[in-house]
Order: sequence, then structure tokens, then C-alpha cells
Amino acid sequence: MGKTFSEKILGLKAGREVQAGEVVTVSPDRILSHDNSAAIIKEFKKLGVKSVKAPQKLVIILDHIVPASSEKYASNHKTIREFVAEQNIPNFFDVPNGICHQVFSENGFALPGKLILGADSHTTSYGAFGAFSAGIGRSEVASLWAVDETWLRVPETIRIEINGKLPSGVYAKDVILKIIGDEGADRANYKAVEFTGEAVKKFSLASRLVLTNMAAEMGAKNGYCEPDEKTIQWLGDRAKDDFNVVTSDPDAVFEAVLKHDIFSLEPQVACPHTVDNVKPISEVEGTGFHQALIGTCTNGRLEDLEVAAGILKGKKVHPQVRVLVIPASRQEYLKALKKGIIEILAEAGCIILNPGCGPCLGAHQGVLAPGEVALSTANRNFRGRMGSRESEIYLASPATVAASSIEGKIEDPRKFL
Amino acid sequence: MTESVFSGKIWVLLDQKGRLIEDIDTDQIYHNAFLHITDISQMGQHALGNLEGWKDFPQKVRPEDILVAGRNFGAGSSRQQAVDCFISLKVGLILAPSFGAIYFRNAVNSGFPVLKCPELDELVAKQILETGDEIKVDLRSSEGSNISKKTPFPVEPMSAVQYDIHQAGSLFSYGKESAG
Repeated sequence: MGKTFSEKILGLKAGREVQAGEVVTVSPDRILSHDNSAAIIKEFKKLGVKSVKAPQKLVIILDHIVPASSEKYASNHKTIREFVAEQNIPNFFDVPNGICHQVFSENGFALPGKLILGADSHTTSYGAFGAFSAGIGRSEVASLWAVDETWLRVPETIRIEINGKLPSGVYAKDVILKIIGDEGADRANYKAVEFTGEAVKKFSLASRLVLTNMAAEMGAKNGYCEPDEKTIQWLGDRAKDDFNVVTSDPDAVFEAVLKHDIFSLEPQVACPHTVDNVKPISEVEGTGFHQALIGTCTNGRLEDLEVAAGILKGKKVHPQVRVLVIPASRQEYLKALKKGIIEILAEAGCIILNPGCGPCLGAHQGVLAPGEVALSTANRNFRGRMGSRESEIYLASPATVAASSIEGKIEDPRKFL
Repeated sequence: MTESVFSGKIWVLLDQKGRLIEDIDTDQIYHNAFLHITDISQMGQHALGNLEGWKDFPQKVRPEDILVAGRNFGAGSSRQQAVDCFISLKVGLILAPSFGAIYFRNAVNSGFPVLKCPELDELVAKQILETGDEIKVDLRSSEGSNISKKTPFPVEPMSAVQYDIHQAGSLFSYGKESAG
């Protein structure tokens, strides 16, 4: 009987044959943490262990509140910098670099066949490169720093087959929103989700990252896209280590195979206050909003900024909305800058912010007031996430957010193409 | 060894229509405005601070009380404050039909008991479990019982790894014991 990707990789790590449902003890290839490293350091120190066991495995990237917006956040960052120096942690990325998931990927830590654990729920992203990557909590990371081992339950796998060609004005974001809307926010709870099908093969790595990033919003343990030529090419000289591609066997046992056709998909919008409250754009067109956000670990890459600029070129942002643009990383920022994309967006009236998480988690750079509505390219629209609990968040693709920013209300981007 | 039988008074997380609230996400359990707090003892005061109708929970709850929540409790972020805030309040246990994956794992690794009870919706709808009832749950044997109403109800037993970590107190002490 064949095995799934997750069974194979966790079996390799555990040094024995394993099946879904078994619990294994494993040592990850990389351990990611961000600003929450401050809290992790506090827990680590309580464990009574002097040194991080495998400091070369740690990747620490400051992104949540960068640069620090208050004395408390500044002190947390300072604690992290001191710890990094004291423990000789080689892979530290300070505040200029951008969102952890983008920085981790573009620096070649996200590789096929690797086991990556990170103190962030969207660690599922690296499945876009064929890694097994999952989000964990603070004490688990502290424990991993100390002993370099943890337990994992081998997840069952749901395979999602995405077939068809993307219609014009429709993007990977619309595809994943539709899937989450149809399947529900806990459909994949603690399961592995494999994205497959002709559409996925055609997607760029940036678009595949949208799928695996948002697999977390279905409750998935990890997301996965089978590495191909495009993956290998993308990794090129970025790859930090040697790697082996691991794939599911053709006769592997999947818990379910779900088929989604995208031939006639229209742009999708997740409405407040859950990510699975998804409606086609035709049902929400005309909804007013106060602030737009183009960016985040879901949709802040060059291809996203390029689509937004294509729509906003020569146009102006509606005077009653404010539009925040946050490139996912400094590298993506520079690419967009050199291509003139940043200029187009700034000319249109967008506020260009430094790479980072921005207001996605409601801590700074555009927090919402009571009664305000945001339209965002992010992955989460939980009540109060971007500020006041009396505010609302709609989620959509960069194209939809850009088109809506011109109109000052939710608008179908296909009218601008 | 830690106790494996828990008893306490329950708080049933109902909405205004009297239904078990589903999909209570980590932002509703612990708002991002307090993420800079690193001291667990200060987290309790913010528990459920962003959940409609339950903002006064930290004032009402007593040590060893048990929380009863709807499907997919703790969906979303990996923020452990959403578990730690209940540890801070000395909540004894959380029961729900299902939990967000990372939330469940965080609770397991902190040695904080979370138990799945697939029939919870029905038990609450039939008023077999109501706020203020005193219940008893055995972490190992899948037996729950409403002491106030003298009614038994089933819960899913802890997995071996969850039980062992709970007995050890935390993931780290569990790891040390297995290594030793």
C-alpha cells in the first residue's frame, strides 16, 4: 500500500514506517519564530537549560510589530537581539526584512522534503515548496530549543484537486476562498491538505503560497503542493541546504479527494467574521469600506502588487478610503520599486508602508476604529482582528481590493481589465 | 502524578439565543491588543475579553471551574496566550466537540486538559449540561457525569501522548522523562 507525503516524511524523520494516526517523535530541520521569540525566551529560561541545543536550526525573523510601536514591543525586540547574540543564532533577520513566511522562503529555508515547525499558524505556507511545515505554540518552541525533539501525530490527508484554467480577473486567492467557503473552517482540522490538479501546476510559486498559507484557515496541520520544475527553478541558488523531493504515492490512502473546478469561478469575498463566510463578488458588490490593505503573508508579493498596480495605474484612490500597501519583504519591495510599481501605487494615493505584518493583526499601522470596515488581502477576518471589536473585515484578492479602492466600495475587478 | 479525575462547576459558552457558540477563534479568546504581555499571571484578566456577552468571564470564573464551548474552539492563530489565559485563571478543563488544531496542541503541550466531547451540542440543547452544574470527568476512561443532575455523558478519552504530557506537567518535563 502506498503512502502519503506526510506519512513518508514523518516516517523518514522517525526512522520507521508510519501510518496516519500514529504518534512519532521527530527532530525538525528548521524552527521558526518571530516577535513572539521574546515570550519563548522567557519560557526557555524557565526550563533551566543554558544553551539552545541546535542554534543553527533556528530562524528568527522580526515582523509582527516592526519597527517597534511602543516601549514594550521595543523591549521585546531588544531581548531577542541579546538572546540571538548570546546563543550564537546565525539566522536572525531584524526589522528591515519583512514578513517571516516570505523572508523564510526567499532565503531558501523552505525546501522540499524538510520538516519545519514554526511559532506561527501560517507556517503551513512552506508546503508550497514541498516541505512538511506546521504551526506550533510558544512552549513547544521553547522545548524544541532545549531538546530539539517533539511529538507529532501523523495526519490523515485530504487531497484537493483544482481543475480548469483561471478566468481573467480571478486568482489563487479566489480559488482558496471558494474552497474554504465550500468546505468550512474546520474541514481539515489536524489533517494534511494536498493541493493538486492542472490549475495548481500552472500556478506560480507565489500563487501556490496563497493556497498553503490559507490551508491554516481550514484548520489544516500542513498544506502541500508537489514540487515540480518550477519549484526547483525558483529555489535555484536560494536553497540553503541539499534536499530531496518527497511526494505521495499514486496508491496512497487519502481520507478524501475533493474536486473543485474553476472554469467559471468569479472573484470571491470572505465576509465578516469567519473566513468560511464566503460569497461571490456579485453578492457583496457595493459594500462600503474605510480602509483597504494590500499586503500580508498571503498576498504581498510582487505578482500581487503588480496586479494591483495594473488596475490602479493612472487612477486615484477614492477620497473616502485609505489604502495601505505593504510589500511582504524588502526583496519584493525592491523588485516592485525597480519595476515602477511602487510609484504607480503611490501616485494613485496609496500609503506605502515598510515590509511587515502591518495592521493585519491589529497592533499598529492602521488599526480600525469602532464601526469601521476594512477590505484586505489578508488571510483572517476574525472579529476585532484589525482593531476595534466593533469593526469588520472583508477578505479578497489584490485585484478586487485595488478595483474597490478606486470605487470606494466593493467592486468586481473584471470591470477594470 | 496529577489527578486524572476532574470535577468542577461548568460555564457553558452560549450566545444570546442560548446556543453553544461555535468557531470561537483565538482573537475572541485573547485579543491581539495584549499580545505583548509575557507574564502568564497577567493574561487571565483578558480571557474571552473579545467574545460577545462573556467579557466579565475573568471576574466570574473560580479556580477549577470547567469551560464548555462549541465546535472548533480556538480556531486560528498559534498564540498560546489563548490557552495560558485560562491557566492563569486556574480553569480546570475545557470541553468542546472539537478544537482548532494548534490550540489543542498548545493545550496538550502545556499539560492543560482539553477534552473532546462530540455530543456536547445535544447535551447542551437538552439542558443536560447547564451553567452552574457540577460535573466530573475522568481523563482516561471517557466517562463524564453531571453530579448535580446525576446524569452520565461520554467524552473522548485522552490519547496516550496527551495523557502522558499531562501527567508529566508539560512537554518539556515529558521529554526529559522519556529521555531519562
